[in-house]
Amino acid sequence: MISLWHVTKAFDPTEPPAVDDVSFDVRRGETLVLLGSSGCGKTTLLKLMNGLLRPTSGRVEVDGEEVGSQDPISLRRSIGYVFQGIGLFPHMTVEENVGIVPRLLGRPPDERRLRAHELLRVVGLDPAAHAERYPEELSGGQQQRVGVARALGGDPECLLMDEPFGALDALTRDTLQQELIELREELQKTIVFVTHDIFEALTLADRIAVLHEGRLEQIGTGEELLRSPATDFVHRLFARPAEQLAAFGDVL
Amino acid sequence: MTAIADWIAFALERLPELWLRTGEHLLLTGVSTGAAIVAGIPLGICAARVRWLRSPLTGAVGILQTIPSLAMLAILLALLGRIGAVPAIIALTLYALLPIVRNTLAGLEGVSPEVVEAARGIGMTPGQRLRLVELPLALPVIVAGVRTAAVVSVGIATLSAFIGAGGLGDFINRGLALSNTDLILLGAIPAAVLALIVDGSIAALQWGASPRRSSATPLAAAVERVARPLAVASPLVLLLAGGVAYLASSGSLAGSPWSAAVGGGSTVRIGSKNFTEQLVLGELMAQLVEARTDLRVERRFNLGGTMICHGALVSGGIDLYAEYTGTALTAILERDGTSDADQAYETVAREYRERFAAQWLEPFGFDNTYAITVRRSDAEARNLRTVSDLVSVAASLRAGFTAEFSERPDGYAGLQEAYGLAFGEVRDLEPALMYQAIARGEVDVVAAFATDGRIAAFDLQPLEDDRGFFPPYQAAAVIRTAALQAHPELADVLGLLAGVVDDTTMQRLNYEVDEEGRTPADIARDFLEGRGLLEPDR
Repeated sequence: MISLWHVTKAFDPTEPPAVDDVSFDVRRGETLVLLGSSGCGKTTLLKLMNGLLRPTSGRVEVDGEEVGSQDPISLRRSIGYVFQGIGLFPHMTVEENVGIVPRLLGRPPDERRLRAHELLRVVGLDPAAHAERYPEELSGGQQQRVGVARALGGDPECLLMDEPFGALDALTRDTLQQELIELREELQKTIVFVTHDIFEALTLADRIAVLHEGRLEQIGTGEELLRSPATDFVHRLFARPAEQLAAFGDVL
Repeated sequence: MTAIADWIAFALERLPELWLRTGEHLLLTGVSTGAAIVAGIPLGICAARVRWLRSPLTGAVGILQTIPSLAMLAILLALLGRIGAVPAIIALTLYALLPIVRNTLAGLEGVSPEVVEAARGIGMTPGQRLRLVELPLALPVIVAGVRTAAVVSVGIATLSAFIGAGGLGDFINRGLALSNTDLILLGAIPAAVLALIVDGSIAALQWGASPRRSSATPLAAAVERVARPLAVASPLVLLLAGGVAYLASSGSLAGSPWSAAVGGGSTVRIGSKNFTEQLVLGELMAQLVEARTDLRVERRFNLGGTMICHGALVSGGIDLYAEYTGTALTAILERDGTSDADQAYETVAREYRERFAAQWLEPFGFDNTYAITVRRSDAEARNLRTVSDLVSVAASLRAGFTAEFSERPDGYAGLQEAYGLAFGEVRDLEPALMYQAIARGEVDVVAAFATDGRIAAFDLQPLEDDRGFFPPYQAAAVIRTAALQAHPELADVLGLLAGVVDDTTMQRLNYEVDEEGRTPADIARDFLEGRGLLEPDR
């Protein structure tokens, strides 16, 4: 679905590159989590995938075709993007936000409206209660549901999600994670999900790609990473939460 | 209280003209603000998009803002070669650009980067991003800029009267020329009220167009459904009201610059400069033409000075006005002055015919030369009789000159040279304020107009021009040759005024306006009736 070949991205030649010689594939229908601490290059990787950024060297392919040779506008409309800061348009109603990609694709207003209401139901929001509201009238969790609904607007095969639940409280985050799992079963989308939260990664991922200082440390299922960490960094990354969990279990 | 009641009565008497001027004012402001929006928002967008354009663009519109309004009007008059609404609208548009360009830029830069990134990320083209996201979000800031621009325009538009563009400034201008506070207020108060109304209507537009919040109660929502469209339409309604007020009252009142386009061939446009004598002469000519021909007269009085009147005459903005031989000789033809009155008249008549396609008619009969004037008490105490007597004491005297006198070659500069005269201090004074200033002792010497009624009224003493420095300033009507050919009867009709207004008569007419508070129109009618000039020949 998406392939990266020796991708390097440097914003400033005097600094170490944000992404350094990274190669991996995202398989059709899987949920791949990019895991790493802030500044490890995971958001940069996401932006390379839909052409918001161009690699300094290497190739990024979507559906077997290099991103740079595709029309960036239609590429982005065919890939859903859920932003870290949510980025809803504050001057548009929920319905208008969710219907924006169909609007860009030139769909008639009636169809946009139906589509928006359908997507709101998919993300668990009642259209009757929410469609006419403005983003600022919604809670953070509701806003991010709208963000997901908007990303689904163009019925993309693939969703890029950049720490979508990062700013939410633990309970809301847990709910949205569960909903995302259900959604994934229902919609059969390929998802690339960025997070710095190990438990979120283990909860959602089919496979996890661990990134550190712009380099790919290891890619594999959660079990593989836990049982046979390829590098010292991966080992330490999982060891500390495991100890905490064990201690927590002891108390219980 | 009675003063206020008197003023209200004064204003009510002039209600039709007040509507006309308010309508003109709204049209000036509305058209120019509209043009500034159309030009300014794209410029603001360019400045936001193209980084290297930002400083030059904002710098350029900033510099426009620093040009003094009168200078701007004069420059545009020179560039366009015409008076009236067009140069005024262009000037107002240029002034309105700064707040609109700057706020468009600031508004676009203030859009949250997250939202911009989201717009790019979901696949908006740059154009869609601008139209669907950035401009709507920048709109409150842009509208704030438009409000600033519109309010500033209402203020600056009062100056448009200087180049014959009408508006409420016409009252102010006339009030200044006639030292009539009631008239000044008749322009200033409605202009201030208008500024508030214009500001309010754009604020209403902004509210009406802002996103509706669903939290309102059903009743409030119902009220909003009615109120919002009204609020959105209010600036347009205001502009239309201005147009209606203008059209409704312009039928009964001549002399609006906006009617120039429909004026047609049977109209003669008479101009005047902005001081009493010019207004009286303008009325004399206008009433005579109205009484004795079928021509419609458009009064374009109170134009801001010699160059503006001359520019208007040459470009056809006006057909005729009263000019002085000495002024034409030195300020317009840039010749050396002559003390021979006949020679001066012949020279200007010939030069105007050849260079400007305009004719000098026969002089009215008075010579309004400059008169270096002091207080009578000073003249007696210091034994001053001639300008030469001033030379030895000049260093201790404060002079007050009009801006025109300070600049003109036959003004202060030439006077200094001819007499070796240098005053201790020279101040710029409005013609209307000059006499009060010397009477109150704020200055000691003024360059008065010899026919000004206030010389006698304020107990002033003109000094003899013993070296014959000031050229003769005989006044006569100057008319475009084309207008004279189209309406040959004008020569005979205006010829009736030849030689009938001597120095003392002109002084008296000026005095009646300046000190007795009568209008130039009244004075002119009385004079013409008294001479039997309004009755047709038998």
